[in-house]
Amino acid sequence: MIILGDTVRLDSLKPGDKCVLKDIKATGAIAQRFMDLGLIPGTMITVVRNAPLVDPVELHLRGNHVSIRHSEAQRLEVIPWEV
Amino acid sequence: MGSIVVAVAGQPNSGKSTLFNMLTGIRQFVANYPGVTVEKRVGHLEYGGHGFTLVDLPGTYSLTSYSLEERIARDFLLHEKPDLILNVVDASNLERNLVFTFQLMEMGLPITIALNMMDVAESKGMKIDVERLAQELGIRVIPTVAKKGIGRLEICQALLRTYELQDGISSFRPAYSSELSKSLKTIEQMLKDDARALVYNPHWLAVRLLAGDEEVRQLFTGQAGLTSDSL
Repeated sequence: MIILGDTVRLDSLKPGDKCVLKDIKATGAIAQRFMDLGLIPGTMITVVRNAPLVDPVELHLRGNHVSIRHSEAQRLEVIPWEV
Repeated sequence: MGSIVVAVAGQPNSGKSTLFNMLTGIRQFVANYPGVTVEKRVGHLEYGGHGFTLVDLPGTYSLTSYSLEERIARDFLLHEKPDLILNVVDASNLERNLVFTFQLMEMGLPITIALNMMDVAESKGMKIDVERLAQELGIRVIPTVAKKGIGRLEICQALLRTYELQDGISSFRPAYSSELSKSLKTIEQMLKDDARALVYNPHWLAVRLLAGDEEVRQLFTGQAGLTSDSL
């Protein structure tokens, strides 16, 4: 069974946490870059690295590792899930 | 007879510059980080009695107008009208790279794909059905390992063949939601008799207008006929 949590910002998750991307709180160039990197609503994400104050936040999605800044990770609304 | 102009396009770190060097023999420094190619570089190639002029475009993730590199690459593709596009695709990052390929296809350009870094893809355990991919996309897909010089002749053959047959224009389109498709069709219909739709692919114009692309919007500002607001 998959347990879904409440919507949170990706920045608040810990390494090893899994989530599904719900919404991108950005427009223009940043939103475009998110989508270019495969960050499209519905995408499953595993947090690989996320330490407070230390950039980057490393994610694993669609078979790729993607590194983004904390300030960018705050713009990603996700639904945490556990199996 | 004039030289056949080939634009070499692809995402950062797809091995675009390495493949460019493999084909043209120009020696040049290739760094292992993104964004190294900022200016336009040109090289020559002789094959099958034809001269090819290869233009190495800046590596970009997309073909929007958000960054200088993207505008350089896009303007060249739209306005310099190269005879052929050689799209370098990182086989080990196929899904992400194909997003760029779809954008080229929506522009209605004649494309040949160099499916590069096949060795990396294999070491990742990926098995790519190259023939099936070519069939689905309706264009030539040539597996390469540019770092080791593998696929040079096959690329030359595919480029010449695409030029001679004047094909390589894919009718494959990414599946948009039914709502989006409807809006795109409506805009395309409005563009049907517009002069700009003769210069640019109408489907591509519709997609970019819906995405709020500033440069494309400007095409429709301050001119007679359709305006971006009426669209």
